[in-house]
Amino acid sequence: MVEVVALYLGCGLAALVISGIIVEAVGADWSTVGGALLDGSVRKPGRWGGTIGVTVPLAMVAIGTIVSTKVGLVNIGQEGQLLVGAALATFASTRVPGPGPVVLVIILLAGVAGGAIWSGLAGGLRYWRKVPEVLTTLLLVSVASNLVGYGLKKPWLLLDAEAKRGNRNLVSEQLPPDTRMPRITLFGNEFTISAFLAIAVILLVGWMLSRTLWGYRLTVVGHNRRVARRFGISESVQGMVAMLASGGFAGLAGALMLTGGDFANYRLVSGFSVSIGWVGLLVALVANNRALAVIPVAFVFASLRTGSGFLASTGIERRVTDVVQGLIVLALLLPPAIMFIRERRRALAAAGSRV
Amino acid sequence: MGGLLSAVWDVGTTETAYTAAARFAVVLAFAATGEWVAERAGTLNISVEAMILAGAFAAAMGYHTTGSVAVGLLAGTVAGAAVASVQAEMSHRLTADQFVVGLTLNILVLGIVGFLGSEWDPSTRTASVVEVPVLADIPLVGPALFGQPWPFYLIYLVVPVFAWLVHRTRWGLEIRSVGENPQAADVSGIDVNRRRRQAIYLGGLSAGLGGGYLLLGQVGRFDPGIVAGRGFIALVAVIFGGWTLRGAILGCLLFGSVLSFRLTLPGLGYELNNEMLSSLPALVTIVAMALFAHAVRQPEALARPFIRGLK
Amino acid sequence: MSKRFGAVAACDAVDIEIHRGEIHGILGENGAGKSTLMKMLIGLVVPDSGSILVDGASVRITDPVAAASLGIGMVHQHFSLVEALTVWENVALGDTGRLSRSGVRDAVGDLSDRYGLRIDPDALVADLPVGLRQRVEILKCLRREPEILIFDEPTSVLTPEESDDLFRSLRGVVEQEGRSVALVSHKLTEMLDVTDRVTIMRNGSVVERFVTTEVDAGMLATAMVGRDVRLRSAQEMSQSDTRERVVADGGGSLPVLEFRNVEVRESGGSLELDDLTFSLGTGEILGMAGVEGNGQRVIADLLSGLRNRSGGEILVNGSVVDVSQPGSAMDAGIAVIPEDRHDSGIVLEMTVAENLMLSDPSGMSSHGVIDGLRREKMAADLIERFAIMCTGPDAPMWTLSGGNQQRVVLAREIAAEPTVLVAAQPTRGLDVGAIEYMTDQLRQAAGSGVGILLISSELDEILELADRILVIYRGQVTGEMTRSEATREKIGRLMGGDIL
Repeated sequence: MVEVVALYLGCGLAALVISGIIVEAVGADWSTVGGALLDGSVRKPGRWGGTIGVTVPLAMVAIGTIVSTKVGLVNIGQEGQLLVGAALATFASTRVPGPGPVVLVIILLAGVAGGAIWSGLAGGLRYWRKVPEVLTTLLLVSVASNLVGYGLKKPWLLLDAEAKRGNRNLVSEQLPPDTRMPRITLFGNEFTISAFLAIAVILLVGWMLSRTLWGYRLTVVGHNRRVARRFGISESVQGMVAMLASGGFAGLAGALMLTGGDFANYRLVSGFSVSIGWVGLLVALVANNRALAVIPVAFVFASLRTGSGFLASTGIERRVTDVVQGLIVLALLLPPAIMFIRERRRALAAAGSRV
Repeated sequence: MGGLLSAVWDVGTTETAYTAAARFAVVLAFAATGEWVAERAGTLNISVEAMILAGAFAAAMGYHTTGSVAVGLLAGTVAGAAVASVQAEMSHRLTADQFVVGLTLNILVLGIVGFLGSEWDPSTRTASVVEVPVLADIPLVGPALFGQPWPFYLIYLVVPVFAWLVHRTRWGLEIRSVGENPQAADVSGIDVNRRRRQAIYLGGLSAGLGGGYLLLGQVGRFDPGIVAGRGFIALVAVIFGGWTLRGAILGCLLFGSVLSFRLTLPGLGYELNNEMLSSLPALVTIVAMALFAHAVRQPEALARPFIRGLK
Repeated sequence: MSKRFGAVAACDAVDIEIHRGEIHGILGENGAGKSTLMKMLIGLVVPDSGSILVDGASVRITDPVAAASLGIGMVHQHFSLVEALTVWENVALGDTGRLSRSGVRDAVGDLSDRYGLRIDPDALVADLPVGLRQRVEILKCLRREPEILIFDEPTSVLTPEESDDLFRSLRGVVEQEGRSVALVSHKLTEMLDVTDRVTIMRNGSVVERFVTTEVDAGMLATAMVGRDVRLRSAQEMSQSDTRERVVADGGGSLPVLEFRNVEVRESGGSLELDDLTFSLGTGEILGMAGVEGNGQRVIADLLSGLRNRSGGEILVNGSVVDVSQPGSAMDAGIAVIPEDRHDSGIVLEMTVAENLMLSDPSGMSSHGVIDGLRREKMAADLIERFAIMCTGPDAPMWTLSGGNQQRVVLAREIAAEPTVLVAAQPTRGLDVGAIEYMTDQLRQAAGSGVGILLISSELDEILELADRILVIYRGQVTGEMTRSEATREKIGRLMGGDIL
């Protein structure tokens, strides 16, 4: 156990050291960079709120990914599922009449539906035409971003006809105030209540995966498809449901990003997803597909993003956070790999054979 | 409909349309040829995007420091291989998930070149055009295929060489066996993961060279957004081409042409549905896979990691 | 030669001699140790003790390359061909040096002629039928010009004609060129037709050595399936006689399981089950004897819902059951103890309780939520009832020994109170105590009215337990008899393909 922790700490430290070296290599000061990152994410008053705002969609995407991974599928299309969810949510916001809170709920549901449809396409192609979902989910990301880009050009779809066209920005209508996610302030930090929604969802899904009949059947399929079949558990039903759920969560993340206002001020803009889908996938993988680990891991990745906002004032290029993020992920991939290899070597030596 | 026909006619008869299509396609071809080798060996590298980007940046820096296009291209090739080394070593020696590594590399390299690019700010220009005598005068396609900056012509070298490597050498035979049935290859005494890593390195070399061409042979100025998804399109082309080199190149030509229309059609006075065009490669490939999944042969072991003793 | 894997002795002081110019048969059931012995010769397994002498000189074989340099080559049981490549490419795989298409093609043609193994070097392996694929494997092996060829279960996938072809070639190899062949198999007829001498292994040791011309199928069968028979006590004999009578009397009632003209085709087109018909009565133990590979696995998979049939009907208590629907066999009351529990019996990564719950998870839940206490109680009960050694209901399955894993399977299947229980090779790999326990349990289940289909290649087991015995050969029932009519020799010969 000590070995495991030491391995993780060692690799994480190595990542930070290498980042520091890169920073120094361009003539900047690593302590300034580190300081700015910390300031931007958690140190300066009120920054926690922003960081939480980014943690929420990341965690949502991640929990969805865990569901599809548990059933044995490879979903790498969250970025696209998120976009379609956000787009459908935006569409609903401009078309559905009614009192604010009701419309808000409908917006969120539209987000879920959008994401689920998008992942459902890939799922359908897998179970009915045997096309590997790793390929279709990936391809659908590009289709999604183009679809949404198109939608943002047409007033009858997503475009806000009255938005200022001066700087050629194609944006959607802004959400009216009563359909925005309510915000609260805790200890001087302002954030939306979707934070609580996210926590609730993660706990619920984690619980469902381990304690319900559905979660049990899903896990059996993921472990051994023949055993599942023997006991009457349908691989395609479980898989399809998991796929829909996975996309649904990503779509919900998109809707939360829209209604939370932290990303584009309650509008859908081009490039809306800002890699939240990709990073959410990373969060799930780094969290080793454990539901409870999702929140802290998502928080770390979110901190890097919000922290980078403060780098501009130090004169250092924002992108250094991408570097740090990438190095940390790579560093975190090493310990399990190293342990796995050591185990194999030991086992092979014990067996004394090449088998 | 009439508009479409006249658009097709105009495009088909304008020299600049061919030239633009060829230039777009060639970058894809560099990357796709390399990834084709890697996928025949059973690996799926979504880090192709990062390899091209690293190549472009390194080429810019190489040219910036030495003023030589050749050095720039060489630097690009090396940079592509460097990115490939991370993908190869982490996924096929250290058993890390190849999608995580690929994704992370895309983000990481984007960050690195964005960061370093703004600090070092290389200045570059495009290489000069070198016309092949006689051939460059062929109407319509002549300038497109034989009247380009000299880095362009490297593709005429890369494609046949890679084809020969995979189909005519022992190394290539082993690469193909490793992608189809790694267990059988292993029993025959072949080091499966070593071959896979080598295939990825080759992919990185080629993609990096493509990045170098993109910068020094086409665009001329570095910007972190210079690759703009070409790596993914190259991936799509390999899949679309049914994992044959001929098919992949065809895919590159097709997708390259379609995407270049974004530039040429407005110039000819047409209004475009940009998004439709941009999504065509992915859409077409999805439809093709859905319809022909049973006919297209993907390498059996594609994207399945090999660990001896574990099936 | 000796080799242990953990507590199990795969090979225990095995002595074997192979002479030049001889085809030497190594006969034994699955688990007898013959595969391990061959793996030691080919360098895939390192022996714990013992020595190997080639032409009188002591050698160490550490990997297949070393074996090849000593002139030892093996044609594998599970083919190691790459389907997407051509014949010549597959043959060339594993060579070193420049790849020469014409060179390899010529070599293939040359070998084809020499040994009478016709094959088109440019054919795609994916297009070849199994018999021809094996030819490619053989050519791959012969190319290295081995002095000693090891064939591991070569005819398990061949038709009689293809087998004849193969053996004719083998004879040629041996006689013309003075090489030696070690033929590892469990098929009696092969041994008789092809070999010069036979060594018989059982449970890791050599039990008999014969010169082939001096034996017949019966003697081979007897030796192969065990001479150390547990003599049934008088009490047990009378018990089973009573049961036989009961079963015979109850013959008027509906059979619990019936197969009518069942046909199963494999993807290549050949028949794995051919017009298979039999019936099983209440409380009867029907033993299905046969050498592995004659359709037993298919029957178990069929009744597990893992295979589809292409013809015929399966009935439980008189009603037709469509086994192609996942779970329908289970719902109809068919329980299965599979031959390979890792494949379709247990989930190693889950806990004992979760594995026990597989047959009826909804019974452990209310409104979709699993009742942890109920499950724990169920598991604790079964753990006690079946004496499963583990740290508790939450113990991960992979921490249990093989015998205890088998107990989990047994517990789960019996607790489901099935109408029919299929026990496929239930005591394979178990120690004596576990075997006794299993046989007791099966008898008890039969006593309570469950119809038991005992599929086994262990003749001991069948003779011990069965009331009625069927012999299966090439997917058909070739013989049927009651326990009192059965003799080792009769069954042995039917197992080997004779028609009585």
